[in-house]
Amino acid sequence: MSEAILEVGGLSVDIATPRGALHAVRDISFSVKSGETLCLVGESGCGKSMTSLAIMDLLPKAATRTARRLAFAGEDLGKASRKRVNTLRGDRMAMIFQEPMTALNPAYTIGNQLVEAYRQHRSASEAEARERAVYLLGKVGIASAAQRLGQYPHQLSGGLRQRVMIAMALMCGPDLLIADEPTTALDVTIQAQILRLLADLQRELGIAMVLITHDLGIVARIADRVAVMYAGQIVEEGPTASLFANPRHPYTQGLIDCIPVPGRTVPGGKLGVIPGVVPSLIGEIRGCSFRDRCSHARDICAATVPVKETEDGHQWRCILENAV
Amino acid sequence: MTTLLEARDLTRSFEVSQGMFKARRKLHAVNGISLDIRKGEVLGIVGESGCGKSTLARMLLGLLPPTEGGITLDGTDIRTLGRKGMARRVQPVFQDPYSSLNPRRTVASIVALPLEVHGIGTAAERRKQALEILDKVGLPQRFADRYPRELSGGQRQRVAIARALVMNPEVVVCDEPTSALDVSVQSQILNLLMDLRRELGLTYVFISHNLAVVEHIATRVAVMYLGRVVELAETETLFRTPRHPYTKALLASVLTPEPGQGIPETGLGLAFPDPLNPPPGCPFHPRCPARMPHCSTTVPRLLQLGRDAVACHLHDPGQSIPSTQ
Repeated sequence: MSEAILEVGGLSVDIATPRGALHAVRDISFSVKSGETLCLVGESGCGKSMTSLAIMDLLPKAATRTARRLAFAGEDLGKASRKRVNTLRGDRMAMIFQEPMTALNPAYTIGNQLVEAYRQHRSASEAEARERAVYLLGKVGIASAAQRLGQYPHQLSGGLRQRVMIAMALMCGPDLLIADEPTTALDVTIQAQILRLLADLQRELGIAMVLITHDLGIVARIADRVAVMYAGQIVEEGPTASLFANPRHPYTQGLIDCIPVPGRTVPGGKLGVIPGVVPSLIGEIRGCSFRDRCSHARDICAATVPVKETEDGHQWRCILENAV
Repeated sequence: MTTLLEARDLTRSFEVSQGMFKARRKLHAVNGISLDIRKGEVLGIVGESGCGKSTLARMLLGLLPPTEGGITLDGTDIRTLGRKGMARRVQPVFQDPYSSLNPRRTVASIVALPLEVHGIGTAAERRKQALEILDKVGLPQRFADRYPRELSGGQRQRVAIARALVMNPEVVVCDEPTSALDVSVQSQILNLLMDLRRELGLTYVFISHNLAVVEHIATRVAVMYLGRVVELAETETLFRTPRHPYTKALLASVLTPEPGQGIPETGLGLAFPDPLNPPPGCPFHPRCPARMPHCSTTVPRLLQLGRDAVACHLHDPGQSIPSTQ
C-alpha cells in the first residue's frame, strides 16, 4: 500500500449568509493514495465542489474552512503559510474545472497560459516551457501541437479546450489532480474520450485523482473508491464494485434507482424517485439529514446517526445495515 | 398511426458574422430534413451540440420559419394556421426552467397566460383551469400564488409543463427538458411526462443528448448529425442493432453505472463537427472508423429500410457514385 497523498479529516466549510451560517460541508473525512481515483458524487448543493475548493484553498471570501487534518503528502496544509500553499498549488496539486471556456483566459494564447505556471514554479526558460507544453499537448492527443500554442481559446472546440486544461494541469507533473465535473459541459462522445484520456494518464503517471461528478455512470467506470455526499456529509463511502453491488445507504440506493439504464430498466416503466427536497443547511442540523425523504426513517434517526463499516472499508452513515 | 406533424425537406440557414472585415458565411443548421411525427408516439431526437436539434424544434413549433421546405399539421400548412393557431396545438417545454418562466408573475398567472392570450374564459375560469392543470402536474394549490424564485428546479419544470398543457395541445416539443435537473428530479419529471402522455393521449417530440433517457421514453428515435438525419428507427431496433457508424459511436459512449467495464473507446478520433465548415460528402466521414473513398465526395441519401431509414454508404451500395475526374 502506498502512502496517502491527500488526507482530509473532519473538514467543514461554513458560508456566512444574512440568515446565519450555511454548513456547506460538514465534518467529512477521506484520503486518496497515489495512483488511486476517488469520486465524490452527489446532487447540486451537496457540497462536493466546496470540498474541492477547500482542499485547494480557493474558497470564496464568505466561506471559512476548518479541519482536524488537511494534509498533502504528509504536510499539514492547515498550518502552511499562504506562500507555501501557492507553491504547492499548480505545481504538485492541480485542478481541472468544469467549463474550459471560463477557466481559460480568452485574451491569451493557449501557449502563454500553458507555460505560465511552469515558468513560475520551475523557473524554466521560455523555450523549455514551450517544449514541455508541446510534449503534453501531444500526450493529450492534440495534433500539430506546436501550431496550437499560438491559438486562442475561442479557436478551439470544447473537447480540445478541455484537453488543453488537462495538459495545463499536468505541466508541473502534479501528485494530486482534482477534477471538478470535467466533462459535464461536453457531448457524450467527447466525454468518453476525455475520461479515457484522464484515466490513462492517471494510471501512467501514478497521480492521485479526486473526480467530482453528479453522474453515477462516470463514477462506475472510472473510480476506485466512491464517496456519496448528501447535505454536506459523506453518507456512504466504499470500493466502487462493492458500493454499486451492495449500496448500504438509502440515498445511494435511491440515486441508483433514479437513472434509466438501457437494457436494465423497462422502457416506459416507472423510474425510482426520491420524494421531498434537500433540507436547509443553515443553522443547527441534528440527526440524519436524509430522514425526511427516507422510507426507512424511524424516531431514532433524529438522534446522532452511527457510522458503520465492513471489513473491506465500506462505510455508511445509517441506522440500517442495508438499504434494501 | 396517422401522421400529425410532417416536415418536408426542411432547411434553415443562418448568416454568421466571421469578424469585422470578413464576409458573412452561411451556416446550414438544418439541412433537408424530412420527418413525420405520428399521433401518440414519442419521437426522440438525439445528436451532439450544434447538430441542429434545437433549430429543428423551433421550426416544428412554428417559432422559426424554415429557409426552404415546409411543415404541415394534419395536412394543413402551418403558415396558414398562424402563430396562435399553431400554439393551440403544439406547445414547448424548454431546457432551462430558470429562464423560461417570467420571474415577476405568480405560478398561477404563468400557467393561465396562454388562456389569456387566446381570450379563453373569464379571469376566474382561467385561474380554475390553471389550478386544475397544476394539480395534474403534481403542484398542489398552495403553490399557485408563489413566484418562480421560491420554487426548486424540478417544481419550475412542472410549472413549464403545466403551462404547455393548459391549452390541451396535441403535440408537446420537449427540448432537453431534464438536462438542467439533478438525477433524482429528472426521474420525477420523466415519470410525470409518461403519465401525462398516457392520460391525455399526447404526442411528444423529445430532444435530448442523454441516450439512456431517450431509450427510456421514446418510441422512435431520429439521430442527427450536422443538420441531417442520419438514422431513424424504432427505439428498440436503434438500440439493439444500430446501423449508422455514428449511432454506434453514440451508443458506445453511454456510460451506464456498471463498474468494471472501464471507459469505452469510441474510435472517433480528434475531428469535431463544425457546422460552419461542414466536410464535403458524408458529413460524418472525417470521424468515421468505416469510411470509404467515396464517402468524402458523395453525400449519402437517406435510404428507407422498411419502417427505418439510414444515410450511410455502407448500407446503400446501390447509390450511384459519380466518378471523380
